[in-house]
Amino acid sequence: MRPSRTTEVPPPVTYRTERIRNFCIVAHVDHGKSTLADRMLQLTELVDERNMRSQYLDKMDIERERGITIKAQTARLPYKPLGDAADEYLLNLIDTPGHVDFSYEVSRALNACEGAVLLVDAAQGMEAQTIANLYLALEADLEIIPVLNKIDLPAARPDEIAAEIAAIVGGEPEDVLRISAKTGEGVDAVMDAIVDRVPPPSGVADGPTRALIFDSNYDPYRGTLVYFRVVDGQLRAGERIHLLATGFEGEIDDLAVHAPEETPIDALGVGEVGVLSAAIKEVSQAKVGDTITLAGRGSRTVPPLPGYREPLPMVFSGLYPVDSDDFPQLRDALDKLRLNDASFSYEPETSAALGFGFRCGFLGLLHLEIVTERLDREFDIPLVTTAPSVRYRVTLEGVVDEETGEPQVIEVANPQDLPEPNRTAAIHEPTVNAMILTPTAYVGPVMQLCEGRRGTMLAMDYLTEERVELRYALPLAGIITDFFDQLKSRTRGYASLDYEVGEYLEADLVRVDLLLNGEPVDAFSSIVHRDDAYAFGKAMTEKLKDLIPRQLFDVPVQAAIGAKIIARETIKAKRKDVLAKCYGGDVSRKRKLLEKQKEGKKKMKSVGSVDVPQEAFVSALRTAAGTGD
Amino acid sequence: MTVATHDGDDTRWLDAPVESGARAGFGVYLHVPFCHHRCGYCDFAVAAVGRLDDARRGDLESRYVAAVTADLARQVAATPRGLLAAVSREGAPTDGTAKGASGAGAPAGDTTGAAVGWSPGQGNAPPGVGTWDGVADAAPETWPEVTSIYIGGGTPTLLAPEQLARLVTAVRRELDVAADAEVTVEANPETASSARFGALAEVGVNRLSIGAQSFTPHVLRTLERGHGPDAPLAAVAQARAAGIADVSLDLMYGTPGESAADWESTLAQVLLADVQHVSAYALTIHEGTPFGRRVDGGLLAGVDEDRQAARFERLNQVLTAGGFEHYEVSNLARGPGARSRHNLLYWRHGHYLGVGAGAHGHLDGRRWWSQRSTPRYIHAVEQAGAAPWGVGASPLAGTEVLNLEQRAAERLLLGLRVREGIHPCDLPPISALALEDACTSGLVETACGRLRCTDRGWFLLDDAVDRLTAW
Repeated sequence: MRPSRTTEVPPPVTYRTERIRNFCIVAHVDHGKSTLADRMLQLTELVDERNMRSQYLDKMDIERERGITIKAQTARLPYKPLGDAADEYLLNLIDTPGHVDFSYEVSRALNACEGAVLLVDAAQGMEAQTIANLYLALEADLEIIPVLNKIDLPAARPDEIAAEIAAIVGGEPEDVLRISAKTGEGVDAVMDAIVDRVPPPSGVADGPTRALIFDSNYDPYRGTLVYFRVVDGQLRAGERIHLLATGFEGEIDDLAVHAPEETPIDALGVGEVGVLSAAIKEVSQAKVGDTITLAGRGSRTVPPLPGYREPLPMVFSGLYPVDSDDFPQLRDALDKLRLNDASFSYEPETSAALGFGFRCGFLGLLHLEIVTERLDREFDIPLVTTAPSVRYRVTLEGVVDEETGEPQVIEVANPQDLPEPNRTAAIHEPTVNAMILTPTAYVGPVMQLCEGRRGTMLAMDYLTEERVELRYALPLAGIITDFFDQLKSRTRGYASLDYEVGEYLEADLVRVDLLLNGEPVDAFSSIVHRDDAYAFGKAMTEKLKDLIPRQLFDVPVQAAIGAKIIARETIKAKRKDVLAKCYGGDVSRKRKLLEKQKEGKKKMKSVGSVDVPQEAFVSALRTAAGTGD
Repeated sequence: MTVATHDGDDTRWLDAPVESGARAGFGVYLHVPFCHHRCGYCDFAVAAVGRLDDARRGDLESRYVAAVTADLARQVAATPRGLLAAVSREGAPTDGTAKGASGAGAPAGDTTGAAVGWSPGQGNAPPGVGTWDGVADAAPETWPEVTSIYIGGGTPTLLAPEQLARLVTAVRRELDVAADAEVTVEANPETASSARFGALAEVGVNRLSIGAQSFTPHVLRTLERGHGPDAPLAAVAQARAAGIADVSLDLMYGTPGESAADWESTLAQVLLADVQHVSAYALTIHEGTPFGRRVDGGLLAGVDEDRQAARFERLNQVLTAGGFEHYEVSNLARGPGARSRHNLLYWRHGHYLGVGAGAHGHLDGRRWWSQRSTPRYIHAVEQAGAAPWGVGASPLAGTEVLNLEQRAAERLLLGLRVREGIHPCDLPPISALALEDACTSGLVETACGRLRCTDRGWFLLDDAVDRLTAW
């Protein structure tokens, strides 16, 4: 993208501000967002058939496989509406992440737009996630263009769902556009609506430069790539920039737009969307929501764009290499991931049972899954992941903070760090405000599930005769495990969930420890509500009894709160460990079995003189995550 | 606690055995894969012929018997040294079909290459195993006298008596067979008859192992055995009538559905039968067998370790009280003379030829085995014609050259199955820590200088060996 570059790329056309439309697509997973984006790209004839990958904008493998967008991407769509003799318009599509874990990123991406296409599957109807993002879009004052997709499906119920959309968004059911992104039918009408209804960007062209970072990612050759939208003023290649929140300063090496392939550009003005690189070593130096301004004497007086906040990990889990020799590789891998993901945190910790590892913080469960999957896929490090937990606030008994004079409060993300009950005055746990959309037929099972997870109902609204919106305040700990799976299975897959972080509330929580042969196994400790402790202890001891192979002696498996044993099982001493027969002199097979067994034993962790296979940790921790009911 | 130290010579247990290795004798195993029907638990080389018409079956059987006798002749003609050299040379079977057919594991190169882990803390390192030519040189010029012949299956007695006789006489033709050699044939109660047994006795068969499995009708049904509970006793009587006094009953215990009372009644029947020998095996359910699939699918209860251990204890108590000596994990005999010499050969690391589909041979730390598939086995032998064994087309499916560590593990794994354990001169070096661990765990003990399993350790033998080899 330097001037010396030889490829024949025509310089991007510049557009007047009033001909620019910045928009995003709000949709649920599988409702056809990427297909619609692909169609729009094809309509602009910017991507030829040969280069057309399905789901052009989702660049990571994991995203493509799961059909979700994790990192926001952008595309520039020049478009000339039918019957408009004047210049073409520039439509900037800002693709938003599609998951509740990334709602902060979503809100920043929405803030870079003036309009949103609300895309709803004509067979499925609105989902909680869509509604949550719709609310974010309304909060950001975006013009909403409701669109029904998949109208060609036999199961489509366009009239019914159009009515549902109108009820939520306002307006008339007839105003809802009907398209099939798959066949391309109606896509041009969506483009026309964007031109007609989404207002052009407004900003102060001659004021101090301010641009909003709505995404950043890491490129091993160029450092961090920063995706931004210019709010006021102008950005030019070669200029020195200053990031208000992180204080980073550097010169813009490359300034470009996505058309949809990256194309260099000299300058970007009010309302324009682009990408820059400026030798930013890691993404944490260019955080989503931060404001870009020009470096210089006045830069510190430029008011930041509203809405920035530090990424806040909500879910914590210990990551341990299965093979302790992999620890240095795991550290390197986490370092590398961190370059690309500012919202994920990690610090070393040790476990008597699992050895050296890291306590990692994630935005949510999907984020956790994505990170562990990337570690496995990109770095090939088999991991044991401890049961996810949340960050508790523990008020210490009789310890006063010297500065505030208040009782001292510590934050605990690892159950091991929970102080003894006699040192604890109170424990507060994070809660969420959850929104669940479900067909009316399943209201009962959903309420039962929420109450089983210590939820408090806040509201219940009938969106239509068939669909109910339930709002619950729930402890975050209650939904980070198998809540979503349970919700899906109890509603035959029809319910959908979204949540926002709520306040910290006091709860009667205890740490349940698991003891093997009298010795606590730190990796199995969990913080649970006192009322759930017995059920949890019982489920875990039963599970461990089945997972741990019989030893030469009886092994008690106990669950305890402090010194009090609340559940006990016994792994009986093994009585048979000999192969009965060797057919026709086949000793090799027998010996190989033994060799295999020996190999397996090497991978066991010895806890309280009990050999625990790695799989037992993995399976038991999976159970620990699923014993809430 | 003292166990053989070998005066610093780590390989003396191989060179100067008292009762193991070459001293244990020399046997010939002949495999007859034919069965009327493959039982649900069976995962051995078996060819079900129950549905073939008589002509095709007769043809298959005579071709098979011809193949076994030809294969035997070629193995014998190779001489011990030639055979060892061929096994060592033979990384993988040369015949491309062999691998697929047998599924037999690693080429010998895998094990020979790994001369690892031999550092018991004293003495000199053994010669590099991969280039251990000394063993081949030490092999005898000619085959020793055969001390036991064992014809197993499958169901050997499905063969016509003259075909079975042909197998026995083939061994006598090719090798010197000791006058007092033990010659065993496995017999199925369904196929028992005085005439058939008489024909076997005529060619020198002096021991029959009768597959009774159980004396409880529903257990026999679960095991998919074709005979009723009275058939084994009738077969024993027919054997006696034919002049074969040495009879063993094969039993199976821990079958799903078998109650404690069922087992007691089976043991009572065994005592009534008044046989010389009993083999009793805990049912093992292997993956890939119909039983394995039924257990996976929840249609059949799996084997229960505690129940099998309880049955094992009763086996020991009842038959010992009835005059049997429990001389090996799965075998009991009325006195030392009634022990199965051929089985002891396996446990004492002895040498044997293995001939027939899926049969294994062992000679001085080298193992080899034939293809499991009966048609492929026959085909390969017929293809080989008169070529020397191990050259060109061959029924060989796999070979294995054991390194010293593997031989030591086998010596323990096999030797400790025998009640009196392993003579100090036959015992591989064991690290002091490993020995202490196994002893304090209550699995092994030393008695009269021999290392042997405790009563409890016997049924936990694999664990004991695992500890003893944890160097």
